[in-house]
This record gives sequence, structure tokens and C-alpha cells, in this order.
Amino acid sequence: MLDIWEVAAIAAKVLLYTSLSGATGLVLVRIVFVAHVTSLERRLRSFALVLTGVAFAATTFSFLLRGAALTGDVSGMADPEMLGLLWTTSVGDVLFYRLIGIALLFVGLFIPKVGVWVTLTGSLIALWSFAQIGHIPELDQTGIRLLLLLHLIGISFWIGILAPLRWLARDPEKLAAAADLGHRFGVMASGVVLVLVLAGGLMAWLILGSISLIFSTTYGVTLVGKVALVALLLGLAAANKFRFIPAMQGGDHAAAKHLVRSVEIETFVITAVLGVTATLTSVLALPM
Amino acid sequence: MKIIITLVLTTLLASGASAHSKVNTTTPPNNSILANVPTQIEFGFANKIRLTKVEVSHDTNPAVAIEIGGQTGFEQMYTMPLQDFGDGSYFVRWRGLGMDGHAVQGEFSFEVN
Repeated sequence: MLDIWEVAAIAAKVLLYTSLSGATGLVLVRIVFVAHVTSLERRLRSFALVLTGVAFAATTFSFLLRGAALTGDVSGMADPEMLGLLWTTSVGDVLFYRLIGIALLFVGLFIPKVGVWVTLTGSLIALWSFAQIGHIPELDQTGIRLLLLLHLIGISFWIGILAPLRWLARDPEKLAAAADLGHRFGVMASGVVLVLVLAGGLMAWLILGSISLIFSTTYGVTLVGKVALVALLLGLAAANKFRFIPAMQGGDHAAAKHLVRSVEIETFVITAVLGVTATLTSVLALPM
Repeated sequence: MKIIITLVLTTLLASGASAHSKVNTTTPPNNSILANVPTQIEFGFANKIRLTKVEVSHDTNPAVAIEIGGQTGFEQMYTMPLQDFGDGSYFVRWRGLGMDGHAVQGEFSFEVN
């Protein structure tokens, strides 16, 4: 059974994954689709600020929870010896990268024009922290760390499009803008999904090393669960791209409602995928 | 989708997911039956770790923390004194930090007759 600190660690990680990838995604969407999201500028900034705040809280809480995991009780969260010990390991490096990245993200949101590049830099530094800990560094190859970074950027971009697309699709007066944003993202997403699937598949193969371990280890079975959820996501994305967006381009308001619903389900499934990922990276050892 | 999530959760919860807890050998060995209470216990880990907490409980005594002070580095072998509670079942629970930053934990037990 998972103990309370492991459950709390997974919950904090899900919060961290969703908030950091969400904030990064909004930054990417702001850069790539600047013309489409001009009308959403204020909303985007406010949402990114909230997500950055949640990412800061989740980062800090995750670090303190690791202290608790070392003593088995809440005292570890404020134990200078335990927290100092953590600081000397890769956990400390990760905390450093994340706090610097989140600070840049936060500051950049208040700077006009060039601020977006500051937020992008912050996002990338924070995302890079994920390549400093967990199972990927155990493989000890810079190329694989870059592959993970690429994977995370792709996921963030996907997550980042959800809120702006939903906001536009909910407004009947912005049907054409929503359809155009959805269409352009759909074109780019074909490439993004390919990179995501290839990078994810390659990392899984490098981590597992053998197909037989997929069904004979908890790690492998959990990974299969993640892939199944991703397949569901791809199904939803395909429905958006081939059914709802083309219908919206033809002026169909009912299709926009379907798209909104689909985006909401996607958000739920992505959260589940991140939950499974948090479990894989928190409590499951690599199969040997 | 509910079926997938249920499957994943069931697998996780049923298998004791704390797999980051590899202790290779303990002295006394797990589930052993001894004639006398050992004066000390030993852990041998697959990789170097820093032990952060060790607790011993006994049939008639609540858990007592074992002093592990003085251990400041990452080691593969740890030896520490054991309090004599008399005959009965002893449960030793430990926690530590792996060099990769992962928290690790585990337990073993033995019986004295």
C-alpha cells in the first residue's frame, strides 16, 4: 500500500505538472498564435499568473513532503537536517531550477512586449528541472534529457491550447476565430503528436529495455495504462480536428458546443495521464 | 476510461508500489526465529543510501526510534544497537534517502523464542 507521504507526493506532483505545463503552454500559445489570442490577452495573463502561483506552491510543498518522507511524519517538513540533506542531492538542484524558472515566469508576466520571452526562458528552465531527477537521469545521457524536454514542451503546447480554444468556442460571436485557431493548431498538432509519441515511445523503450517487462512489472503495466489514456486523448483530438473544427468553419454553432465538451473531457483525461505519470516518477522503481 | 483508471489503481495498490526500497540483506534475516535477542541489527543495501529513521516495535512495546546519529554520509552497510524487549516478535521499519534523491523505506521482522 502507498503510505500517506507517497499519496501526498503524487497529489503535489499532479498539481505541479498541470500548473507548470499549463503556464508554459499558455506562453507558447501566446507566442505562436499571437493574432488569434489578442482578444484573450487579459484572461490569458490572469490564468497564467494563477498557474504560476500554483506551480510555486506545489514546488515548495513537494520539496517539504520529501522531508516528511524521510522521517515518516510531519516534523520532517520543517527539519533543517532533512531539508539540508535533500538540498545536497539532485532534489536540491531541481528545487533551484524550478524556483528560478517560476520566478522568471512570474516576472515576465508583468513586463510588456519582451516579457513573453522572459516567461518562455523561465518555462524552459523549470521544465528542464524534470530532466534532472527521476528515471531519465539514471540513463545518464544528455540526448535523452533533451528528448524529455522536447516531450514536455510538446505536452505543454497541447495543454496550453485547451483554455483559449474553449474560451473562444464558448463565445458565439467568436465562432470563426475559434474555428481558425482550432484548425491551425490541428495542423501543427499532427507534427507535435508525432514528436510526442516518438519521444515517449523511445523513452519508454530506453527505460524498460525489454518488451516482456511491459506486462510482467507494475511499472510496465502502469505505463500501458498511460498509453491507453493517451490513445483516448488522440481519439478526442481526432474528433476535434476532423469533425467539430470543419463544422465550425462552416458556421455550425452546435459543433462549437461539442468542441467545448470535448476540450473539457480532454482536460480531465490529461489530468489522469499526469496522475499516472506522477505515480510512475514518484513511487515506482524501474524494472530490472 | 473508468475501467482503465480502476485497472491502473488496482494494480498500484495491490502490488505495494513502494518499490524504491531495496534492502539486500538484514541481520537478523527477515522472518528469522532466534533463540536470543541480538545486540545489534544490520542493513545491507543494494546501493548507497543515507538512513534517516529506524524504528523498532515489539509485541508488548510501542515503536521506539533507534539512535542513528553520527551517520552523515551515504553508506551501503549500517549497524546499530538493538534494545532488548525480551521474547516475542520484533518489527524494524526504516526510512532513508537514495543518492538519486528518492526517499526509500522498508521493514523486516524477526521472532525471539
